[in-house]
Parts: sequence; C-alpha cells; structure tokens
Amino acid sequence: MKLTQFLLPIVLIICWQTASLLQIVPTYKFPSPLQIIYGFKDLIVIGMPPGHHLQYHILYSLYRVFWGYITAIILAIPLGILLGWSNRLRLLLQPILELIRPIPPLAWIPIAILWFGIGIKSAAFIIFLGAFFPILLNTISGVLSIEHILIEAARTLHASTKDIFFKILIPGSIPSILTGMRIGVGIGWMTLVAAEFTGVKQGYGLGYMIMTARDIHRPDEILAGMFLIGLIGFLIDIGLRLVERKLVQWK
Amino acid sequence: MNDLSLALEFSGLNKQFISGDSGQKIPVIESIDYQLKWGTFLSIIGPSGCGKTTLLRIVAGLDQATKGQILINGQKIKNCDQRVGLIFQEYALFPWRTAIKNIEFGLETQKIAGNKRKKAAMEYIHAFGLQGFEKKYPKELSGGMKQRVAIARTLITNPDIVLMDEPFASLDSQTRNSLQEFLFSIWHQRKDTIIFVTHNVDEAVFLSDQVLVLSPRPAKIMKIYEVDIPRPRDRTSPEINTIRKEILENLSKN
Amino acid sequence: MKNIYIFLLMLTAVLLCSCSQAAASQGPTIRMAYLQNDIHHLPLWVALEKGYFQKLEVDIQIEGVFKAGPEIMSAFAARALDMAYVGESPATTAVANGAAKVLAVSQVNTEGSAIVVKKDSQLSTLSELKGKTIAVPGHSTVQDFLLRKGLSQKEIPLKDLNIIVLKPPEMITALDHNQIDAFIAWEPYPSQSQTLGIGRNLATSRELWPNHPCCVIVASKKYTKNHQDKVKAVVQANIQAINFIEQNPEKAAQIALQYTGMRIETITRAMQNVHYTAKLNKQGELEYVQFLTKLGYINLSDPERFVQTFVNSTFLNQCTF
Repeated sequence: MKLTQFLLPIVLIICWQTASLLQIVPTYKFPSPLQIIYGFKDLIVIGMPPGHHLQYHILYSLYRVFWGYITAIILAIPLGILLGWSNRLRLLLQPILELIRPIPPLAWIPIAILWFGIGIKSAAFIIFLGAFFPILLNTISGVLSIEHILIEAARTLHASTKDIFFKILIPGSIPSILTGMRIGVGIGWMTLVAAEFTGVKQGYGLGYMIMTARDIHRPDEILAGMFLIGLIGFLIDIGLRLVERKLVQWK
Repeated sequence: MNDLSLALEFSGLNKQFISGDSGQKIPVIESIDYQLKWGTFLSIIGPSGCGKTTLLRIVAGLDQATKGQILINGQKIKNCDQRVGLIFQEYALFPWRTAIKNIEFGLETQKIAGNKRKKAAMEYIHAFGLQGFEKKYPKELSGGMKQRVAIARTLITNPDIVLMDEPFASLDSQTRNSLQEFLFSIWHQRKDTIIFVTHNVDEAVFLSDQVLVLSPRPAKIMKIYEVDIPRPRDRTSPEINTIRKEILENLSKN
Repeated sequence: MKNIYIFLLMLTAVLLCSCSQAAASQGPTIRMAYLQNDIHHLPLWVALEKGYFQKLEVDIQIEGVFKAGPEIMSAFAARALDMAYVGESPATTAVANGAAKVLAVSQVNTEGSAIVVKKDSQLSTLSELKGKTIAVPGHSTVQDFLLRKGLSQKEIPLKDLNIIVLKPPEMITALDHNQIDAFIAWEPYPSQSQTLGIGRNLATSRELWPNHPCCVIVASKKYTKNHQDKVKAVVQANIQAINFIEQNPEKAAQIALQYTGMRIETITRAMQNVHYTAKLNKQGELEYVQFLTKLGYINLSDPERFVQTFVNSTFLNQCTF
C-alpha cells in the first residue's frame, strides 16, 4: 500500500472536521472526527452500556462469528466437493439450494430465535447462513473447474475414487475454496452486527453496543463502533488473503 | 514378462460414438486386428481426427470399444486398466504438486512408503536430467521439462504398456529432437512396450520398430511398416529417408 | 487529477447541504407519536376518539407508533416529530446528550410498570434476580431506569444480572419459552402475561420507586416557539382525557381495547396499576437526571439548570383542570 493511497481519506477527514467546526453539519447527526475519537475513548474507558467495555464487545462478536463460520466451513466444503463431483447429486439438490440462497440471513432471525432461543446459538446460526452459501458455491465451482484430463491422468496412475477426492478434487479446488471462505467471512461479519441487534444474552457484542449507543443517543459512539467493525472486517480479509497467497503458490 | 505371449492383441476392434442430439451413430474405428509383441516401440500415424486418440483411450481403459476384443498379456482389458500408462499431449501435470510430487503420485496411490517413494522419485529426477527442479511447480517448468516429468510420472509405475499421445507435439523442434533422443535412450535401457501416436513421420521413423498407418475416419489399418534399421539411427541416413518417403506417399494418397 | 478534486469538493458540498436541510415543514398539523400498546398513553387515544383535539381546533397526525421510547427520541433528532407521548427517562437522556431539543410540557402518568416472572417460578424477591436474565424494552427507557434504580436501592449490584433488550411484544413469548427469567415492561404487558396464564408480577413499579413519574408529553422546542397555542391545546385535551378516564373507566377501557387489541380483563387489570395525572414533577425529574448520571448515560454540567429548562409547566398553568 502506497502512502498516496491515504491522501484522499485524509483530505476528506480534514474537510469533515472543518465542516463540523463551522457548524455546516450538525454534530448531533454527524459527529466530527474528533468527537468520534473521543467516542472511542469512552467506549474503552466507560463502556456502552456503561460498564461494558469495548474490548469485551469485540471478543464476544468474534466468538460468535467464529462458531458460525467454522460450522459453515465444516458443512459447506465437503458438501461442495461432493456436489461438484456428482452431477446427479448436484442436479438433485440444486433447486432446494437455489430456493434458500436468496433468503437474506437476517430474515431468518425470528425462526432462529424460535429454534435456538436468544443466545449464541441463534447468532451463530445466522452467521452460518451468511457464510455457508459463498463457501459452498465456490467449492462446487472449484471442483468443476478442475480439468477433466487431470482426473483421467490420476485414474491411469492407479488412483481410487478416495484418491481422486483427496489428492485431486480438494487440492485442485483450494483456490476457489479460499475465495469462497474470504467472501463468506465477510458476509458473516456483516451479518453478525445485525444479528446482534435482536437480542444478545450476555450483554456484549459490537452490534449490541451500537444499538445501545443509539438508545442512549451517542452518535459519536455509534460511528466509532461502525468504523471499528469495518476495520476488523478489513483485517480479517487481509489475514485470509495472506493465507491464500501461501497456499496457492502454484497458480 | 512371458516373451511368448503378446503384450497386446486387438481382434475386430470397433468403436462408434452416438451423437448426443440426433442419436446418430458415428463410426470412428471400423475394424482393427493387430498383435503387439513385448518390447516393441510402435508408432501410430494417421490423418487428423482419424481416431488415433480414441484408440489409445480404449487401450488405457478410459473409453470402451463398441465391438471386438482387447487382450493385454492374454487377459481381457479392464476399466481404467492399471497395466497401462498414458502420457498426454498436454502433460496433464497436477499444477498444485511439485515436479517430484507429481512423479511420486503413482506410488502414493499404490501405498508405497514415504521414504521409498522419495528415493525412487529422486532416481527418476536424476535420470531425466531434472536435478535442481524437483521442488518447482509445473508453472515454473519449460515445456520440455514438463513432458519429462509427465513421462517419469508414468514410467515410475512400471506399466506393462506405455501409451503416448503426441507427447512432443506442442514443443519446438529443437526441444522435440532432444526429447526424442532422450526417450530413445530411456527405452533402450528399459525396453518398455510403447505405443506412440504422432503426426510427425520423421519422429515415427526415427524412434520406432513398427509404424502403423491408419486410414482416415473410420480408422482401419492401411499398412504396417517394419523399421529394421539398427539403432542408434541417423536422421539423415538414406534408409530412413526411403521409409519416410514411402509412408508420406501412402498418407498423401488419402 | 485536478478535475477529480473539483468533483469531490462539489460532491462534498452537495452532501453537506442535504444534511443540514430542515425536515418537513411545520404546518398546521401536529406530527404526533406514541408507544405501541402502552396503556400509559390512553389519554391520547381518548382525546382522539372523543374529538377533544378538533374541539380545540388542532389537527393531530399520528406520524408513528413506536416500539420503545429511544426510537421516538431518534425521530425527534431527525426532526420528524413535533410532539409525542413518551417516557421521561428516554426523553431526558436524549435531550441531555444533545440528540433532541424538546420540552416536557405535561405529565401523563405515574407508575404503571411491573417486573414479571413466570407464573410457577420460585422467585419472590428482587434479590433473587441475581444471576438471572431479565429483558428491558431498551436502554434508558423508564423500565430500564426503574429496574436499575430499584436494584441499587436494594443494594443488588447490577453486574449480577443479565440484562437484554427485547421489544415488549417479544417479551411474553421469550418468557414462555424460558429464554428469559423475567421482564419489565409497561402495562398492559404485565397484565397480558397474567391473562394468558404465563406470568405473574414479581414487583410493580410502585414497589421499585413509589409515585415515580413515568410518561410525559414532549414538544420540540422549535414547534413550541412557533405554535404556543397548539401546544397549549394538546395539554388541555390531555387534561380533559384524564378527567374522562377517571369518571368513565369502563368507556375508557373500551377505547383502550380498540388501540391494543387485548382482552378486557387485561385492560382492566392494567388500568388499575396506572395513575393518570397531568401535574409535572420537577423533583422526580431531578431524580431521573441524578440516577442517569450515576449510570453513566448522561453527563451534565448543571443538572438543576437542565431540569428547570426541560420541565416546562407554562402551558399547564394556563389550562383549566
């Protein structure tokens, strides 16, 4: 990342702070950058709601995303490999999957609460739904993108079907799987915040924190929280890109 | 290998494809009878689309014959027959595996232990002049190197019959010539039974004991040439030239 | 490159202009809001049904029926409302944090909430709520305030509770399915949970803070400045409605039925828990301010002055009771 890439954001922030100082923009609607920084400080020191500090909100949110995401990976990758390999299974399951896929994860919230109660299970379920489909679809297309000739070559080299799955399909589709995982974690993270709006048992979570800041009318903390959510999502994405680069040296 | 039995035998081999839309039958191989002795280097030549690749795939067990019988070492051919190795024109190397890991593949599938595998694969690396490149990925190898890896990958499994489908077609003529000589030297040591499909008459005559000329589709055996010239062969020698001319005339007649 | 910067500057200017534009015009209609199924707001419903506003020549437009007080205050912040019936606690929080500029021009009721537990639960005292999960309608709502104030008076540390935010309609279901151990909400939800045989009161708001002020009528400062007569008319209509409720409880209950869709037993029981009055209570407001400051929700430099300006009895004093 070159330094010049930061030029535009810095210019915008300066304009924004100036506009707030000159009262062109009302600060109760649009806190200034300085106010947002103070908001950050309050989130860490006082907490929102008071007593619930930022560090714990972050940890709880990450914890929920982790469980939803891991479940998505464990289910989506094997299923994706299977569906990529078997035309028959894919055609069989495709209508069901294509019907469920367009339903936004957030629309599942009432049902999730009915099935799992209010707590980590329903939040993790919503995140699971958000991450599952990108991972599944990318895995399937990863398998389908493996040249057929490679499978024939493997067969002529004494490969059993088990060998084909583990030595050809999985390594061959890893680039697509990783792309799907990156997209999936992005969607899972975005969905998390909204999922936390609806009822968070332990009283911790970034979405919950923002909701409370809304109730207590601290837009500076709302924006600080939003920025943090974006930052964490960004860092997770970079992390996965690094993993991708390591594992896909051969492409 | 029993020298008295045949490596490969076709009787009345016939192949038809069924066109997906119209259900029309497209004959590709009409009727082939042939007997291949062990240790023979056989080249198959024919015009494009005549069915050479289909023939190879049937021997490799990747496709099935419509009619007729194929025996390998006196036994009927099986699906994806493990006694046959196939080297593709497009190399078909596994891009996510290094050169040495590609070569080890056929041993992995036969559950050979790790250190044994490595040892055997390194021998081939050395024998095929790939030292220093064993940890490289296929994208980092030249065309000639890739093909050598592909050949090593197949030969390390010691198939009864080695099939090669225009393996040097996508290489420049210099690399091609050096790989031909390389292939010859390997074969000379191991005496594999090889069926080598090619477009290139020079190549066929340089390498083979026998050259089988196929007709245009549907394929029939037009003629079988015995190349009795002692090896090592000189590409420019008059004997080679004579056979070359004959084959070329035969091909151009069609 | 230069063109890009010019374009960006223009874009920023456009965005700023649209941000600072005033919201909808302030015409003759009063944009009003109240809380869904909140029996505390019965005077508004009565005034609407009995035509008190029309008789006083004001036109009321219900801009929204909200699920909790903080949402009403957000609407004020967005300049989408002129007046509203809302809890004193969320209104105080919003004004103290600079989000909304409103005045409290009349009281509506005192008391009228309860902490509800499952019918067959073993809990009988507040201290037994330790370690339990209890739902509130939102942070800084009157109920949230009551819960925390009530607990701190009994010296139960707030840390020992799991407080979660649910909208009152969801609370009864959550209690029924054991997702929460208790909830605190405005009437008629506590009464409804009893009628449905799901819950019973652990403590009424009276026990948490006797005679506590609950809902008020707020009006935006700007609207009040420009339409004093209309604000006075609303305050007057409210007084008339409260009188009507006192004198004709059954008829008032029928109106409540219309607006809540709940059963008559629920309404009757709920109304018994609520005390309707228009008299503003500055001392009560000061207690709100002090405790909200203690909770860390607000941070005022001059609480007394805040109460003096926020609680405005001018219009009450001009009305006939």
